[in-house]
Amino acid sequence: MEIAVLFKVVPDDQDIQVKADRTLDFSKAKPKVSEYDLNAIEEAAQLAAANPGSKVVAITVGPKSIDDSKLKKNVLARGVDELVMVADDSLDGLDAYATAAALAKAVESAGSFDVLLAGDGSADNYAQQVPVQLACVMGLPVVTAATKVDVDGAAATIERTLEDAVETVRVALPAVVAVTPDIALPRIPGMKDILAAGKKPAAITAEQAPVACATEVVSCLAPESADRKLVVLDAKADGAIDEFAAALKAAL
Amino acid sequence: MKALVIAESADAARELSAGARTMADEVVLATFGEAPEAVADKVAVIAVPEGAIVDDAADTLLALADAEGVGVVLVEPTRHLKTVAGKIAAAKGTSTITDVMSFADGAASALYFGGVAERALKPSTDFAVYTVGSGAFADAAASGANEAVSVDWVAPAKAVELVSVAPVQKSGVDLNKADVVVAAGRGFSEEAQLDMARELCDKIGGGLGCSRPLTEGVDWLPRETYIGVSGLMLSPKVYVSLGISGQMQHMVGANRSGMIFAVNKDKNAPIFKQCDYGLVGDIVDVLPALNAAL
Ligand SMILES: Cc1cc2nc3c(=O)[nH]c(=O)nc-3n(C[C@H](O)[C@H](O)[C@H](O)COP(=O)(O)OP(=O)(O)OC[C@H]3O[C@@H](n4cnc5c(N)ncnc54)[C@H](O)[C@@H]3O)c2cc1C
Repeated sequence: MEIAVLFKVVPDDQDIQVKADRTLDFSKAKPKVSEYDLNAIEEAAQLAAANPGSKVVAITVGPKSIDDSKLKKNVLARGVDELVMVADDSLDGLDAYATAAALAKAVESAGSFDVLLAGDGSADNYAQQVPVQLACVMGLPVVTAATKVDVDGAAATIERTLEDAVETVRVALPAVVAVTPDIALPRIPGMKDILAAGKKPAAITAEQAPVACATEVVSCLAPESADRKLVVLDAKADGAIDEFAAALKAAL
Repeated sequence: MKALVIAESADAARELSAGARTMADEVVLATFGEAPEAVADKVAVIAVPEGAIVDDAADTLLALADAEGVGVVLVEPTRHLKTVAGKIAAAKGTSTITDVMSFADGAASALYFGGVAERALKPSTDFAVYTVGSGAFADAAASGANEAVSVDWVAPAKAVELVSVAPVQKSGVDLNKADVVVAAGRGFSEEAQLDMARELCDKIGGGLGCSRPLTEGVDWLPRETYIGVSGLMLSPKVYVSLGISGQMQHMVGANRSGMIFAVNKDKNAPIFKQCDYGLVGDIVDVLPALNAAL
């Protein structure tokens, strides 16, 4: 079985700084795989393991900065066979419409796939729209919120966990499937995996014909932070727990 | 301009129809069951055929949008309808602006990086699709004659087949109503340790919630009790965080609390920059002592 897993590279939000004018400074934030896409990558690896002879190709599009050797090894060390990356500054800050257009081309250049897996939502936008738009561009069916995927022959049986129901659905392959973080816990790659990752095929290309976004960002500002007392006590210090308890009681 | 509202729940149907009224001259509501009374000019009840999923109503709704000459679509952000929104947006060459909290000057505001920032977004296309959370149009009033429009199901080119549906058992806990919320995070390394948090809840009359990791992979607390951007957005009088690092995706659901208390063993945890009272210590030592002191 040919499995594509789509992932997004985002700046590490722990290192996004808020400037005095409340705009964001990303200069210290290193690129990382968006958290819940790691679960999709793990599911891809597990599906491949359950279906011997399968291949997993991880695919992403984004600005030049995503072409980061540590990041590429990290992806390839997770049971992924090949990496396909379109890294071009014309692909920075795309909305779902433009991302799907770029991804569809990247997927088509990478081969033909039975299943295209995606994560639950990216850490930046969490819009949950790219898998749907990609399926539309490629003329494929899409299933979201997947918590279990079983492939048999030319179809998959998928369990999707919704707000108040669990649906079991059947979909003909190829199909796009967005999985929730529940589906598989990401592995922690070992030294051997990381070393082997360096030898796996990785195709890094530039975008030839970027598609424009359909939405524009008018402003992006950190919220005004609430005034907090910021009294931080060391629990080992004398009376600290009593002081904390008294403050808590007084607040009730 | 005409607006199309797509909603599964009656509350969202009412609120989004009221909001659509502030954006458009005419409001068409599409629902999947009975529509609330007098909320829209026209109402289409979509009958999803047996064996089809609600997500696949997109083609039917697209046909309705075209027939009515709709320019803006407001969608309730459920799992089903987020797919519908995405399919409509794709067909119209645009992107859905998701989880909108408010509209001002033609731009929609939504969280970015789980609350690290708020962005105002505008469609650059003539056709706009938004998913809108509850509260965005709390002040608007819905009105209309609810004239019935009949629509025929338009089957998608590649349908997904619904095999079965099982309801999810809910715990019945509603932290939205709690004045005091205690939240447990990954600082709890074993499920049994949660008893210390439960005891604290008893002492201070709090409801027990958690960070998202305690409901995923491990199943220690019900999914409907996790707090944050993708879960509950709370504003209790008192919020006590235990073994939670304080990442934005979580804090955005708690930072409107009256007072924030935090226990964490790492004095550099981000939570200590966002709390009123913090206690640096291991929950295993601190919670029994704290419970005894209360
Ligand atoms: C798109 C997206 C959406 C998300 N939505 C949500 C959401 O809605 N809600 C949510 O909660 N998260 C959400 N997350 C996840 C979020 O980014 C964090 O990963 C999560 O909130 C971390 O949970 P935590 O603080 O419990 O765990 P960690 O970040 O692992 O922190 C554990 C903390 O416990 C402390 N600790 C460890 N042991 C002890 C001990 N013995 N005693 C005291 N302290 C201890 C540690 O110092 C640490 O600070 C989302 C992520 C993404 C990418």
